[in-house]
Amino acid sequence: MTMFKKILIANRGEIAVRIIRTCREMGIHSVAVYSDVDTAAAHVLEADEAVLLGKPEPSESYLNIERIIDVAKSTGAEAIHPGYGFLAENPEFAKCCEAAGITFIGPPSSVLRDLGNKTVARRIMESANVPVIPGMIEATHDIALLCREAEHIGYPVMVKAVAGGGGKGMRIVFHPEAMEESCISAMSEAEKAFGDGSLYLEKHMKDPRHVEFQMLADHHGNVVHLFERECSIQRRYQKIIEETPSPAMTPTLRKEMEKVAVSAIKASGYINAGTVEFLLDQSGQFYFLEVNARLQVEHPITEMTTGIDCVQQQLEIAAGNPLRFTQGDITHRGHAIECRIYAEDPEANFFPSPGGITLYREPCGPGIRNDSGIYEGFEVPMEYDPILSKLIVTAQTREATRRRMLRALRTYVVLGIRTTIPFLIDVLSSPEFVKGNTHTGFIDHHFENWSQSREDEDAARIAYVIEEITSHGKASPKVSKKGWPTPWETLGQWRM
Amino acid sequence: MKYRLKILEEMVDVNVSHSDSDQTMQAIIEGREYNVHYQNVMDRCFHLDMNGKLTEVFVAAGNQGKHVFVNGHSFFVQDADQLIVRSSRRKGPEEIPGDITPPMPSVVLRIMVKEGQRVKRGQGIVVVSAMKMQTTLVAPTDGTVKKIHTTVDAKVAPGDILVEIEKEIVDNE
Repeated sequence: MTMFKKILIANRGEIAVRIIRTCREMGIHSVAVYSDVDTAAAHVLEADEAVLLGKPEPSESYLNIERIIDVAKSTGAEAIHPGYGFLAENPEFAKCCEAAGITFIGPPSSVLRDLGNKTVARRIMESANVPVIPGMIEATHDIALLCREAEHIGYPVMVKAVAGGGGKGMRIVFHPEAMEESCISAMSEAEKAFGDGSLYLEKHMKDPRHVEFQMLADHHGNVVHLFERECSIQRRYQKIIEETPSPAMTPTLRKEMEKVAVSAIKASGYINAGTVEFLLDQSGQFYFLEVNARLQVEHPITEMTTGIDCVQQQLEIAAGNPLRFTQGDITHRGHAIECRIYAEDPEANFFPSPGGITLYREPCGPGIRNDSGIYEGFEVPMEYDPILSKLIVTAQTREATRRRMLRALRTYVVLGIRTTIPFLIDVLSSPEFVKGNTHTGFIDHHFENWSQSREDEDAARIAYVIEEITSHGKASPKVSKKGWPTPWETLGQWRM
Repeated sequence: MKYRLKILEEMVDVNVSHSDSDQTMQAIIEGREYNVHYQNVMDRCFHLDMNGKLTEVFVAAGNQGKHVFVNGHSFFVQDADQLIVRSSRRKGPEEIPGDITPPMPSVVLRIMVKEGQRVKRGQGIVVVSAMKMQTTLVAPTDGTVKKIHTTVDAKVAPGDILVEIEKEIVDNE
């Protein structure tokens, strides 16, 4: 069995910390890379070695292929782990690694290329008898063609970007009158976000569940699944809560879906860790959505219930080792839920909330895991996506897990920036969530005009006053502020 | 002692009497009475007994206010008497400028207007980006772009005036 001695992690935030932790545990030397605004970021502090890439703009740093490969070469890193987002599914990057003799921890660049094009992916699946959502298998810029296809498929339709992801370049169209305009705006958004404005259509499914299977495939032909995750609770196509097992799963359904997931992986020639995503409609029919050719944000819930370290498996596979277990060895115990904690203000339409974290206390207790990329005093930069941490909780049953998550959220203190914690608390407390009636329309249906509960406002006012009287005029804020203090800050405690 | 505390847009009177020696406080908020016993258990963390109900709260200083955490909820609480009043920059009833300011720390992506250009209410003026989210800041009124105080790629924060718009006064006579 071989293993790398040194790995470069081409990412930042919580996932970079997560990967470095496994490297530490495996005795692998880790190299972190960072931009100007991340000089004190958690992943930089955790790594064995850290190299500055450049300016904060992703193109100058975390998306700078040439620079990253250079750093890998100069530090002697044998492999690069791309995390998720950034370059994780970039075939060009994988190809450059291959050309430089550096192992890309993920699937081959050709597979990334195929699966990154959503219509090519659909064609591959169709030919492997994987059920796909009714729709187009060729993308186009021709809006008239899209309108004709929409008539053929039947409204409502989903307009999607072929190079897409993260909800960009997507529109739901209910009526033919809105079709042209939706295509134009989706095309322009996709062009800006991915450099490719071509679109395709799928039939819009009403309130499906998003169910995905975690897969591992090694270089020796072994393919296994690590059970499913349900990721239906989404806001603007961004997942915010994930759980395993899916409340809708039955042993029969699982057997059918795992078989199809394995076919999908084999048909695409996939190697390493990946996820096959399905939409499960209300009648129990499931359809292939896409393959996520990377380690996903929500992988920890699988780790908690199977006991398998997904990052470790990625490194083993990339190093050429065969999987050490068979499908029969893999078991699933208990239930796990993950809440993504975003730096967003849920009361201000989820506007991003970058800034300094003035107070930070993580929840703890049995069955609690917090994969965090932040700490007290850290300045959350505005240049990157707003994920702060992932709070993962496990317990024996779904209800026990749900209650444990609520306890954890209520004791997770983040002050100085806004987070989505109060929103998550209300989602998890809702009767529909308790019943497991989760689907992708959940947030839209039940939480459209949400605002934070006001029952603790008096306590907040009283806390303010108590802090004021006990600090006796120590007025200067903990977060360092530039410039001269104003008289309001230096005057001290006074009252009329 | 009387405080006038602001949370979001709401201002509420809080009447307080306290005793340092036994760490107790009586508070009356909009007619609601609270008997409080408090303990500063660790850095910026207080354990409160409010009318028999035990709660742990965290308080951190912020810019012109305090961030308070209670039971999974966070609030930004300000003392209305201590807020610095922004100078209104009003010159007279004929010239009331509209200020375009970003809602969060962000980067200017695009300036969609020129100085001297007439704009309509709701028209896009500046596009800013933060954490991969783009927001278009729009004109609050019909008017003319008086002055542009920013450039593309500038890093801006709430309170920074990016573009001044002179409101168009419609003559109703």
